[in-house]
Amino acid sequence: MEVSPPDPGTQSPPVLPLELFRLEEAVDFCRSSSLWPLTFGLACCAIEMIGLGASRFDIERYGYGVFRASPRQADLMIVAGTVSRKMAPCIKTLYDQMAAPKYVVAYGGCAIAGGPFKFPGQYGILEGIDKIIPVNVYIPGCPPRPEALLAGLLKLRDLIRQGKADGRMSPAAIKDFSNRQNPVYKDAISRDAFRNAAA
Amino acid sequence: MLSVTLPPDTLRADKDAARHGYACEAVTRRDGLRELCARLKDQGYFLECLTALDFSDAFELVYVFSRTESASRFLTKVVLPKPDASGPGVGDIFPAARWYEREVYDFFGIRFDPHPNLKRLILPETPRIHPLLKSFKGSAVGADAEEVLSAIHEDRAAFDLLNPRTPKNDADSYELNLGPQHPATHGVMRIIARITGERVLSTECTIGYGHRNHEKMAEIQDYRAFWPNLGRLDYVGAMAYNFTYAELIERAMGIEAPARAQTIRVLLTELNRIASHLLWLATFLLDLGAFTPYFYCFDDREKILDITELCTGERLTYNFFRFGGVAHDIPEKRIQNMISDFIPAFRQKLKDYRTLIGKNIIFRKRTQGIGVLSKETALAYGVTGPSLRASGVCRDDRRVTPYSIYPRLDFEIPVRSEGDSYARYLVRMDEMAQSLRIVEQIYRNLPPGEILLPKVPKTVPRGEYYFSTESARGSFGIYLASDGSPTPYRLKLRTPSFSNISAFSELGRECFIADLISIFGSFDAIVSEIDR
Amino acid sequence: MIPVFLKTPWVSEALKAGFWGCFATGFVSANALFLVWLERKVSARIQRRRGPIIAGPEGIFQTVLDSVKLFTKELVLPRHGKTFLYLLAPLLVFAPIIVSFIVIPAGKNLIIRDLNIGFLLIFAMSSVSFFSLFLGGWSSHNKYSALGGIRSVAQNIAYEIPLLLSVMGVVLLTGSLRMTEIVSAQSRIWFVLVQPLAFGIFFCAMLGETNRAPFDLPEAESELVAGYLTEYSGMRFALFFLAEYTHVFLGSALASTLFLGGWQGPLLPGPAWFLIKTYSVVLVVMWVRWTFPRLRSDQLILFSWKVLIPLALLNLLVTALGATLFLQP
Repeated sequence: MEVSPPDPGTQSPPVLPLELFRLEEAVDFCRSSSLWPLTFGLACCAIEMIGLGASRFDIERYGYGVFRASPRQADLMIVAGTVSRKMAPCIKTLYDQMAAPKYVVAYGGCAIAGGPFKFPGQYGILEGIDKIIPVNVYIPGCPPRPEALLAGLLKLRDLIRQGKADGRMSPAAIKDFSNRQNPVYKDAISRDAFRNAAA
Repeated sequence: MLSVTLPPDTLRADKDAARHGYACEAVTRRDGLRELCARLKDQGYFLECLTALDFSDAFELVYVFSRTESASRFLTKVVLPKPDASGPGVGDIFPAARWYEREVYDFFGIRFDPHPNLKRLILPETPRIHPLLKSFKGSAVGADAEEVLSAIHEDRAAFDLLNPRTPKNDADSYELNLGPQHPATHGVMRIIARITGERVLSTECTIGYGHRNHEKMAEIQDYRAFWPNLGRLDYVGAMAYNFTYAELIERAMGIEAPARAQTIRVLLTELNRIASHLLWLATFLLDLGAFTPYFYCFDDREKILDITELCTGERLTYNFFRFGGVAHDIPEKRIQNMISDFIPAFRQKLKDYRTLIGKNIIFRKRTQGIGVLSKETALAYGVTGPSLRASGVCRDDRRVTPYSIYPRLDFEIPVRSEGDSYARYLVRMDEMAQSLRIVEQIYRNLPPGEILLPKVPKTVPRGEYYFSTESARGSFGIYLASDGSPTPYRLKLRTPSFSNISAFSELGRECFIADLISIFGSFDAIVSEIDR
Repeated sequence: MIPVFLKTPWVSEALKAGFWGCFATGFVSANALFLVWLERKVSARIQRRRGPIIAGPEGIFQTVLDSVKLFTKELVLPRHGKTFLYLLAPLLVFAPIIVSFIVIPAGKNLIIRDLNIGFLLIFAMSSVSFFSLFLGGWSSHNKYSALGGIRSVAQNIAYEIPLLLSVMGVVLLTGSLRMTEIVSAQSRIWFVLVQPLAFGIFFCAMLGETNRAPFDLPEAESELVAGYLTEYSGMRFALFFLAEYTHVFLGSALASTLFLGGWQGPLLPGPAWFLIKTYSVVLVVMWVRWTFPRLRSDQLILFSWKVLIPLALLNLLVTALGATLFLQP
């Protein structure tokens, strides 16, 4: 007997006439409503992240204000600032130490793609945190305002509720902008040439 | 004027201090340096900065010496012919040199002898590059995901090699690793403490987790393109860092910003200084375990940010100054209204802070007599700023090297002699009041006129320049070597926290773990400013 | 018609214990969740902000959402840790605190067991709870955890003594360790007025016993990351967290029973008065937490040995003299 593949347009409705909610949805709702960030700042953006915790912006309104210093208890890593080469292994370790489900927000240009410190041939920074850990939400800016971070967190909340962010995404890489002009590195000149214009 | 007798074979040249920022330079032999350093130390000089210049035939080591209470700055150079690049170590005379020598080794590959602990300071162990050499034309690391991951594995291997899994634990003591991710390191910094019970025997700082290529970026871009970096160098008190760069380049070019621009600069810098000290107060008390002041301080800080945001358009990483002025005019009436609301409110707040924090018995017990930094140690390590003034040395760049409109303003330099964390707290509290006083003096009568010179040269004349201004953390200096082209030949950022934290290992011994945290907090270190 | 076997003493006793056990656990957990929410709101008020407001009215369901999230989180086991003890510690922290509620009278006749050793049971149990903090810290195989655990033991030893000594004054005046008798002895005047010094000492020592700021050294976030619970994730972490708040509630309940007249009060029923008094003490505890910086470990121990214990002994001496002179017939 031949079985035709089901047509995606005419899939049968759910068998149960009344589907109130699924357990996953309820759990996702709870998870999305209580994202505890890791106390972890790298550079400039971290100040704005701290500012979001303070009274004017008060991230605690949404229940996201429980900053935990131990990665075991945190759900959310806000990568706020430039990731240096020296720091990258530590961040990877921190991410590995966090208990699943874990979410990552790349906050600011540096965490997204290296920001203003990226130039062809740079030696010290990692050009985008998504090269080593999966990222759920990107928030551009240098640094983004605290409101932007709040908006990003609410975006993450919606993504979790829609089931689009399961906290265990596979690593993804973004495209590199390779059309940038190469910098002109100087050659060493002799001491005479440096001091005397005539040389 | 320089009163030190120089060793033989030393070439001495006097410079125009107003333009170059230092009065005198001396090129000495390799063997004569240690002798000269010892003499300078006897004369009350301290090592402000040490860096190197890479020429095709030789390295030049540049030592910047300064005195505590006068403006006389003194540059010493040592020429190291190229194939054999090994310099004289002066860490035993000026302990400040130890970190600087490690940094020079890191960036240039110059070895120093004698040096107790010559290893990389800022860069990771792999790859073995010396990025500030002119022969270094960039590395490919960072562009490709796989490369990054393999580099990380390499880094981890190197890390494990350096820091074995089973550190030297014995029955009496063990190593505790604070950081790089630790709530009390304010960013990314690593403190390795040897501990017995709760007592700390010794500490060692590892820095470089926030290194961001600033100095290399300066060499490949023209002078104007470096502005955004200065805003991100010390993101808490960015105005003062912009100020140094503006003053340095303007002095070197021989131009002067219009009076209105000068006043706006000082106004914003002083507001920014208050904001920076407020952030310090918040995080310092967080280190001590008090949460609530953080919210109050940030509330006040947000009010200042409102003002600076209205002026510059930015909350944090200001990029508002230009060579010969500021980027655009400020909305004078609105700013005046905001500041006149802010000043009395904040004055009351300062009084509240002094009562609620300074008179709290636990706070006093936790800070008084803790982390005493003696005058001599502070100078030996090149500590500057409020931390130095809390140790009884009245040195403030706004007085020592008068710049902009500061000589015309009426303000005091708060000084304490105790040298403990409480003194550092008091000095910063007083500084906030003094900054408020400066703002009060100038915000009502901004001089009318231009804010930006119409024509500014694109290049800096050939030569070397050093200038420093007083940032919220201390004396921020820039050493610039210009070869007359549109890009700097070498630009060295002498950041205050770098020297301040190099003194931390002196204080972080024979104390409790809790004190270690509070002493570190009392220095107001911004990590990406240390790492650059 | 009740089956006969239910009337045999040990079966009925077991059923009763089961019922009260379930009730106590349920009440204690719900109460701890409420206290966590309350703490977040109180801290927000003190810090000029609003605290949780999105989840439910004034964010009252925030802690429920948090605990469901913690329930569903991955549980991480430290590789080199002592796994069995690591798993046991959260239970050992939580269980003794629940047991302590047996002897707290929440109203007239509203007491699970009116034991004649009364609060001795509570102190014994709270020590067990404390040592399980050490157990958790030590079995985690983490230096921060171990330091936190060691601190908790040192702190417990130092603060148990003034706690007991301060209560001894009350016991002298009452002549009994039985909680109901202590409460009924306060029908005319609360012991806080007779023994103000003892109440002060009790309050300080209670803060020390419950790891609350300014004595929160075992957890000391800015020093030890998260102290003894650095390695705990998910529900085990939540158990520690709930235990801490339950401990605070227990301490406050004890304070209101021993010093504030317990469930006695005009107009309102006993349990209402009991809760009002207890929550008032809890609010003061929270207020203290958000006001003071943390003490250093040596200062903490010295404060107990050099200040609290001598004062408590003095108080005991004066009380004994007073009781001998005035109370004895």
